[in-house]
Amino acid sequence: MNDKIEKNISSQIGEEDTWLDKGKTLVRQNKIAAFSALVILLILLAAIFAPLVAPYDHLEQSLADRLKDPSAAHWLGTDELGRDVLSRIIFGARISLTIGLVPTLISMAIGTVLGLCAGFYGGKTDFIIMRLADVMLAFPSLLLAMVVMYTMGGGLVNIFIALSLVNWAGTARIVRSQTLSLKEKEFVEAARSMGVGKWTIMFRHILPNCLPSLIVLFTLNIPAAILSEASLSFLGIGAQPPSPSWGLMAVRGKKYLFSEPWLSIAPSAAIMVVVLAFNFLGDGLRDILDPYLKEQ
Amino acid sequence: MMKKRLSLALAATMALSMAVTGCGGGKDASGTSAAENGAGTSGETTAASGNTGEAGDIGIDTTGFFLSVLNADIQTVDVQKTSKDYAVPMNVFDRLVEIEVDGQGNSKIVPSLAKDWDISGDGLEYTFHLRDDVKFQNGNDFTAEDVLYTFERLLTVEGGVNTELLDQVKGAAEMIDGSAQTLEGVEVVDSYTVKITLTEPFAAFLSCLTAPGLSIFDSEATKAAGDQFGMDPAATVGTGPFRFAAWSFNSQLVLVRNENYWKGAAPLPGVVIKIIPDTETQTMMFENGELDIIDLDFVTDATDRFLETYPDQIVSGPRVGITYLTMNFNIEPFQDVKVRKAFQMAIDRQAILDALYGGRGQVEQGIYPFGLIGYNEGQTKISYDPEGAKALLAEAGYADGFSMELAADSSSSDTAIMTLEIIKEQLAEVGIEANIKNYDESTWLETRKSGELSSFLSTWTADFNDPENFIYTFFGNEEKTKIRSINYPDTAVMDRVGAARGIVNEDERLAEYRSLEEKLIHEDAAWVPMYSRTHLWAVSKRVQDFKPVWSGVSDLVYYGVSLSE
Amino acid sequence: MFTKILKRIAISIPVLLGVVLAIFIMLRIVPGDPATTMMGEHVNPAVIEKISREMGLDQPLYIQFFKYIGNALRGDFGTSYRLNRNVAQIILDSFPHTVRLSLLAALVAWTIGVTAGVIAAIRQNRLLDRLFMGGALMGVSMPVFMTALILQYVFAFKLKWFPVSGFDSLQAMILPAIALGWNSAGSIARMTRSNLVEVMQNDFIRTARAKGLRENGVIVRHALKNAMLPVVTMMALQISSMLSGAVLTESVFGVPGIGRLAVNGIETRDMPLLQGTVIFTTILIILGNLAADLLYSVLDPRIRESA
Repeated sequence: MNDKIEKNISSQIGEEDTWLDKGKTLVRQNKIAAFSALVILLILLAAIFAPLVAPYDHLEQSLADRLKDPSAAHWLGTDELGRDVLSRIIFGARISLTIGLVPTLISMAIGTVLGLCAGFYGGKTDFIIMRLADVMLAFPSLLLAMVVMYTMGGGLVNIFIALSLVNWAGTARIVRSQTLSLKEKEFVEAARSMGVGKWTIMFRHILPNCLPSLIVLFTLNIPAAILSEASLSFLGIGAQPPSPSWGLMAVRGKKYLFSEPWLSIAPSAAIMVVVLAFNFLGDGLRDILDPYLKEQ
Repeated sequence: MMKKRLSLALAATMALSMAVTGCGGGKDASGTSAAENGAGTSGETTAASGNTGEAGDIGIDTTGFFLSVLNADIQTVDVQKTSKDYAVPMNVFDRLVEIEVDGQGNSKIVPSLAKDWDISGDGLEYTFHLRDDVKFQNGNDFTAEDVLYTFERLLTVEGGVNTELLDQVKGAAEMIDGSAQTLEGVEVVDSYTVKITLTEPFAAFLSCLTAPGLSIFDSEATKAAGDQFGMDPAATVGTGPFRFAAWSFNSQLVLVRNENYWKGAAPLPGVVIKIIPDTETQTMMFENGELDIIDLDFVTDATDRFLETYPDQIVSGPRVGITYLTMNFNIEPFQDVKVRKAFQMAIDRQAILDALYGGRGQVEQGIYPFGLIGYNEGQTKISYDPEGAKALLAEAGYADGFSMELAADSSSSDTAIMTLEIIKEQLAEVGIEANIKNYDESTWLETRKSGELSSFLSTWTADFNDPENFIYTFFGNEEKTKIRSINYPDTAVMDRVGAARGIVNEDERLAEYRSLEEKLIHEDAAWVPMYSRTHLWAVSKRVQDFKPVWSGVSDLVYYGVSLSE
Repeated sequence: MFTKILKRIAISIPVLLGVVLAIFIMLRIVPGDPATTMMGEHVNPAVIEKISREMGLDQPLYIQFFKYIGNALRGDFGTSYRLNRNVAQIILDSFPHTVRLSLLAALVAWTIGVTAGVIAAIRQNRLLDRLFMGGALMGVSMPVFMTALILQYVFAFKLKWFPVSGFDSLQAMILPAIALGWNSAGSIARMTRSNLVEVMQNDFIRTARAKGLRENGVIVRHALKNAMLPVVTMMALQISSMLSGAVLTESVFGVPGIGRLAVNGIETRDMPLLQGTVIFTTILIILGNLAADLLYSVLDPRIRESA
């Protein structure tokens, strides 16, 4: 046990490790995280190549074949309009992963820029940005997303906006605190004394050093976004039919819980697998990459 | 030492939350909580716990009560201020006359607070002879003054929404705009006779009087209650079989038997109406015996399973509402009657009814649904004929079809959305490319009212049992047809619709309504009549004599129901 | 110390105002006229105009805002469109249910979270670590409404150990509390684990080990104590996620709490109700955070010194 901890510490501190080394460490030390990465990759591929992978057209109705039990023809049965559930889940991966990725990227981009500015400029800039972040963080995230969706109505684009708006503040806080400590570091001082511009310092010198935390944060924010969309769908203000997001499929399927449970269980299980995989991967990455991020 | 800190932290957090909770309790105790007022003032209930502020604790012994459910709480029990929350009012109040529908869908008007009535030859004067043995739940006598008061209040009360029920009464318009302080058309002849005068003959007037919105209030108690009428159970007094006893918001409504009901006390000691938003929760509660009834409307998708599991415990009733699909005459290419007819023929309504509602209901062919006065069993049928539809489209110059929008209201039910998804597929088969567009509720409503909404699917449920309530709403005049985004252009037909309201002879009137229905739907193809559905409930084994009563939106009347133990 | 508290409180005030302003503006860019929406099918232009006037919707936005702030300070959150009731009163009536549910849920979250976190930390990177972390994370991996539904299905419907819905007895509250608490357990477990792992690398633990104390004793006596402090402050953050989760849990189990009000507000497009509910919960969270911050600075000697 002692040895192992020692090893962890050295791998955490080892700044010269290449990304490949880090990947190897991940596989060696955290099999589940590595496996999770594989699962995510497979689902991503399935989503990209959905038309090739899915056995049926996910929108094709067949009223005669509605609510069929799982069988050789339909591995996960059919839904209330006779559509193949497996195909819908494979196509749904596109929507749900997009819902995970897009708002996370947007919110983290906003959060990173604002966090860098706040940390680097300090003073009034810092005060204003961080109070703004405080305001956003004060809202219960689901309630805030509900208000945004209430204002703008359901639909994918609005979900992106709602979730981006909700999530940038967390990133901003973390980037700011890292910037604060990094800007005192020698290499930044050196760059500054050489007359390098502020933005160059921020984006060339400080940002790369925040990357490990950002990667971890990224992996942990994606599942949160997927779950938020499911919650919004439950409240009727999430994705709109017929786009089969997993959350919406679970919500609509849950009405058949007693007679056709697979309609809600299958999409829920898909959500669970993806969320768990991202969480394990995120935790694994954190152990390896990031000595800063503990409070997420 | 660390332990101490930890517990300190915990204690502080608890204290914080308790402080806030305590604050809530304090306000409650000041007496504004509906639940406590109800419990505190009612004769047979024990004193409310006063300072807890717990909505669940109502201090009424509910043993033996009928356990009912709603999936959303009501706004108010004051029927003059709501156009849909009739669950409590139907049991707490009576109306001058009531309506009864038999299994064949025939309905008739029967006496209630008015024991009989005379109608003058010109159809303008209605004289009601009131029962003289009716008391309100607070002991006050019911008299003609109460009728006058109720009607005047309907027209003037702040937040009132049902004024159109009295549109035809003489002087109603003057009361609404404030130029008159009394309602000219309602005259108290003596304590138990009231005479109502109309501005023009209106054959549907008696049906109108059965609307929940025209429930009769006690003038004295209602005046005293002010804006608490309908909110504070104790202040909400009617003549009905049950007293409104308690209301914990979002939790439950409690009705307690009126021992002095003029028709005789109800067999049930009371009713608890729980508010459960989640339909799967409702289902499990019903199956675990936590509910005596479940409205299968809330669990449409599980209806088949209920029918299988509880074959002897299913009750059905007429719904008196029609689902329809519109076509906007102002939107290309729906000006063309051939396109409209093709549209009618392209939709397999029976298939939709079968797939989504297990075939429970019937495909409709006109405007007046099954169960409504004027319903016409023998009228022309629209047949499902995709080939014929294609041929008509070709004739109209749309051999390659066209694309259009199906406007969905995002607040509508999953089943309604699925219906649109199916219609989209069916239209595709005749070459019409329909795109479902989601609108949020308010945009949908506003676009519709501006007359610019494209085709949409909706259901109109009767406010009162008369064809007038249907045909006049959609095709009464230019304004009416515009706000439904139909924009039916033939003013001569619409003038006839308006004139039909005044036909005094009942047979002539119904004949005219039927001829108009034929003209509008089968000659002009003004909309696609879809279907009307049967309303089903499942009741628990202990429920006896449960009979759904017609009430516009099929709310439940608990009078006459009993429980076997 | 005292100035620090004052400063912290002073910083909270603009945040509070910002929160109110943000919600206020967001809810007023809703398309469509609220009065029309509220009236629905029954169109009567005169009535709609009257309601608009009563609600003050015909006034400029900034006047509406300052009026709202003024009224809110006096505890008046306006009148619900749909329910015709005082919003503050509805919130205060519903709030105790949410508090009770959240406290129970916090208990569940902490029991699961800390247990899983400690075991995972002791067996770091071994099978038990993964198993327990996985278990704790399960609750946050499913949509809350499905967790709730499945718990309800298995334990209330099939096994009949609990009532399907209800809120007035402890027994009825257990399932909702598990559904809600499990959802928060993951993050508590995660934090407990990483803090413990970190603390165990500290010098004083090494010293304790060197002195020959048994491993479990070391963990319990020294490491856990030190690791728990940041976790305690997380409690305040948990209020926020609990209240989010309550929106769903309360709907599934029929608990008439504050989360239901937010849903009511959305469903019936009742702007004052939604606005009041969101502002109230947010203020609560800000106060919770403030309290936790202050508590933390009182408890933690390092921070006290640096202040």
